[in-house]
Amino acid sequence: MWTPSITRRAALLGTAGLLAAPALPLAQGAALDIYGPADPQARRGGTLTVAIANEPPNLDPFHQAGDARTAVTVLMYQGLMYEHPSGEARPLLAESMQISPDGLTYTFRLRRNVTFHTGQPMSSADVKYSYDYIRDASNGSPGAADFGAIAEIATPDDHTVVIRLNRPNASLPMTLTNRFGCVVPKDTFAAQNARARLSQQSVGTGPFRLAEFRPQSHIRMQRFPQYWEAGQPYLEAILFSTQPNAASLLQALRNRRADVALLPRPQDAEQLRDVQGLNIGTAPSLRQNTLDLDGNFAQLRDVRVRQAIALSIDKEAVMQASIGGHGTVLGTTVAAMQESWGAPLNELATQRPDLDRARALLAEAGHGGGFQLDLVSIIGFEWMDPAAVTIAQQLQRVGIRLNIQRVELGVWLNAFRTRNMRFTFNDWGTQPDPHILYYRHFRSPPQGADFRNWNNAEADRLLDQGMETSDPAERRRIYVQLQKLMSETVPTIMLFSPNLVTVTQSRVRNYAQHPTGWWFGLARSWIAA
Amino acid sequence: MNRRARIEYGLGLGLAGLLLLVAIAPGLFAGAPDSVDIARRLAPPSAANWFGTDETGRDVYARVVHGAGTTLGIVGAAVLLAALIGGVAGAVAGFFGRLGDMALSRGADALLAFPPIILGVVVAATLGPGAVNLVLALGIIYAPVFFRVARAAALGEGARAYVEAARALGHGEWAVLLRHVGPNVLPTVLLQCVILFPLALQIQAALGFLGLGVPPPTPDWGASLQESRNYMTAAPWLAIFPGLALLVAALAAMLLGRGLQARA
Amino acid sequence: MLGALAGRLGAAAATAVLSTAAVFLLIRAVPGDVVGEMLGQSAGDQAAEAALRAFFGLDRPLWQQYLGWAGDVLRGDLGDSWRQGLPVAGIVGEAFLVTLQIGLVTLAVALLVGVPLGVVAGVRQGRWPDLVVEAFSLLALSAPVFWTGMVLLIAAGAWLGWSPPLIYAGPGENLSDNLESIALPVLALALLQAAAYAQFARQQTAMVMRQDFIRAAIARGLPARLVYGRHLLRNVAIPLVTFAGVILVQILGGVVVVETLFAIPGLGRTLLAAIQARDYPVLQGALLVAVLIALLVNLLVDLLYAAIDPRVRGA
Repeated sequence: MWTPSITRRAALLGTAGLLAAPALPLAQGAALDIYGPADPQARRGGTLTVAIANEPPNLDPFHQAGDARTAVTVLMYQGLMYEHPSGEARPLLAESMQISPDGLTYTFRLRRNVTFHTGQPMSSADVKYSYDYIRDASNGSPGAADFGAIAEIATPDDHTVVIRLNRPNASLPMTLTNRFGCVVPKDTFAAQNARARLSQQSVGTGPFRLAEFRPQSHIRMQRFPQYWEAGQPYLEAILFSTQPNAASLLQALRNRRADVALLPRPQDAEQLRDVQGLNIGTAPSLRQNTLDLDGNFAQLRDVRVRQAIALSIDKEAVMQASIGGHGTVLGTTVAAMQESWGAPLNELATQRPDLDRARALLAEAGHGGGFQLDLVSIIGFEWMDPAAVTIAQQLQRVGIRLNIQRVELGVWLNAFRTRNMRFTFNDWGTQPDPHILYYRHFRSPPQGADFRNWNNAEADRLLDQGMETSDPAERRRIYVQLQKLMSETVPTIMLFSPNLVTVTQSRVRNYAQHPTGWWFGLARSWIAA
Repeated sequence: MNRRARIEYGLGLGLAGLLLLVAIAPGLFAGAPDSVDIARRLAPPSAANWFGTDETGRDVYARVVHGAGTTLGIVGAAVLLAALIGGVAGAVAGFFGRLGDMALSRGADALLAFPPIILGVVVAATLGPGAVNLVLALGIIYAPVFFRVARAAALGEGARAYVEAARALGHGEWAVLLRHVGPNVLPTVLLQCVILFPLALQIQAALGFLGLGVPPPTPDWGASLQESRNYMTAAPWLAIFPGLALLVAALAAMLLGRGLQARA
Repeated sequence: MLGALAGRLGAAAATAVLSTAAVFLLIRAVPGDVVGEMLGQSAGDQAAEAALRAFFGLDRPLWQQYLGWAGDVLRGDLGDSWRQGLPVAGIVGEAFLVTLQIGLVTLAVALLVGVPLGVVAGVRQGRWPDLVVEAFSLLALSAPVFWTGMVLLIAAGAWLGWSPPLIYAGPGENLSDNLESIALPVLALALLQAAAYAQFARQQTAMVMRQDFIRAAIARGLPARLVYGRHLLRNVAIPLVTFAGVILVQILGGVVVVETLFAIPGLGRTLLAAIQARDYPVLQGALLVAVLIALLVNLLVDLLYAAIDPRVRGA
């Protein structure tokens, strides 16, 4: 669907970083290439109904990390930058970005005429407030760690923001995008019950504002008339309806009660193929379904055991069983980043099943007679059950007998957070940047969290180096090296990225699916008469 | 017992016997429940697969047959556990009375005030899913019911003349409880087991449906219903047959319970 | 009478306190807390975690947390949801009304269907109407109620091409949407409860039929319609009313999974969501309401029974 372009990225960041060119305009005018192309023939008005499988717990972009939250808040809140599907961060509320030669100072010129849903105009003070709030860990934002690189934020004038870093961080622009980089009016959280208010009214700058949020039922958004992009958006309102299961979501599409849905199970596309008037779009995603191996857990402490497990798994068969093959088998990065950042699959270790080597490694590790191991799967993640059954059969062949354990998500997250993952399935997504993808998950503390207890000093070195390097070619080389290390010492086995399957009624026009799976595309959609 | 009651009782006995046989020796009735065959996924009922196949091509009939042992075993064990805990506590409380009785009674009331499924979800979430924990969760839900029944029975027995006589003969209180009251409370408790079985079965199925049942690949009727949710329209057989199995099991227990009640 | 009432009320209050304390402790024994859901896989910053936990008061000792909550409840404040920040009283109140509507409509349907079936079966004991009613009620009582709901959903989709509206509408918002939303859940619940009613009404009818005054009336040659209409129904009605309380409590308990299946934003679904998200204030508030209702209905049933039947008084 889209092709990442390293060359453009090189031109962009390379020039800015090395030569400290005068403020580089990254995009001009109202015809921005964000959210998808504008459509001059668009018809205005109408309410679009979206069936969603996961309801966001709340709509607070500062205190809620969940993907279900981000998926909808991107329409109401905006950051300085936008995570363009190409993999580069492009200006959104910023007009331009300039980087100092040492890579430590970022100067952003802000877009004029941006108004918050509260009616106030946006100024640099609001940006400083928002980013100071999120990076202050005592405010408890899940984004605090990502913003940890920032040393100081200055506002020389109303339309300029200068961010100084402790050490170079090439992914700062990506950090300032729409997951945690949202800008809200100054002192938003000073008010009492400010967090609660975010569930009743939005205070961002996005094309839609919140009209109603009824937990366990629906979210209604209304077009924001003072939105800064001239003539945008086309839709009058969007209604997100939470569906109790995949079957009812399909039924809603069949009965035309829903206009748009992202299938929670890509294989369900098969059930809709014969339905008249539905368009089914497929795209690679930034999500990954993985097996994680805790380096502090039982037999997994021995790297040979981890390698043997990797060598016993046939990812293709697992993907067939769990999502009917509607995805991409992975090496060591997500599908939508493979081309731009992934190590070539043939250069990675432990990707193809090799049972003889697996048995040899196990024998060498003293497990010639095989052993029992618990595999954790999370309730509510339906792909995990068939995957678990398949993997149990595959590991049986080298003498590893799996007990499948199911845990509730809350219990699982608790284990995850306390670095007690054991041998488990995982399902997570990223923004299209290797630092954001790998750093917190694999860098040892205190800089990262190393949830899998990988404890790999070489990986730490590469991760730090990748963070500080802005030259794209060099950066890519570093991350390829990191991935090779991952494939050799197996802290995780990335199984597959499920396809993003978007189903739209034929009256829905100009919807482009973003690889994050978030609803950016609705900002450019319209409804045909 | 009139003729119809006898027929119903007979039917209950027959069904219960059959289910017991299926639960103990599923191999007599069906092949392996977990032979995956992706090529034959979601096949409708046919001569080869009487109940159709599921999303990984496993035979639904085999899974229903093999699920009997899991589902009925868990519910049976849970009811017996509840009977043991609740029955003993109830008999003791009813026989001795006083402060312990007060405390236990309030505790039982407190548990009974919860919707059973919510109590089940909280307990199952606390303990984590799995067969043993499911038994414990269901046991906790139903222990107070047995407590009440046993307590009332023990209260009644405690006031009877033969107990007074035993006391007069110098038997200790515990001895009287064990030797005289206990045996007389037991039939009431056992009957209650049969009466509660269908209710516990439905809660077990509901917990399975919510994902708190036994982990895969173990076949279980409630868990099968959970897996069937995504295919309600595309493959309704996945939902219908495990549900029918639950229905038949509950029916058998209900008929049996009524028959026993009528005979008692 | 008054003393007995005070005693009953006291016992109910003690039970309520015990139940809430039990839930308070039990839910905190489940691993994980609301902070886990907020941070997701973006966890890792210890300071942020600690700050969040302090924000929710999760860093205080359990007894302090409980006393704080209980004190607020006594002052009439159920607190705010930890997920949405909205007042628990509002969330639980709205959800309760949704569930109550379903409960009452179900009760009405069950009563209207179940009682006539039961009375007919009782009057025509052993004949074919009795057999049909018996078969129906046995099957309906044996089927798991959420499975009945699934079968109804499948049947409605396959044969009528119909599915419930995407979004639940309250009766005040849009009555026809509301009726469409609750049609299948009510039907699933009502089948079960109608069966329970039919069984109960049959038993009561059979008992009354055996009594002397009915036999006498029949022997005196009074028209059958008069006998049934006047004597029988009056005597059957009383226990049926009290039975309604039992049924209502059962419906409120059974609605949990059905609400989840049909995406109805009622008390059951709210409870389940609160458990999964570890939203303690909502969970505690909703359970408090559920427990109080169960206790209240039981109390009312007993009082009603005592008022109707003087023999029960003082017992």
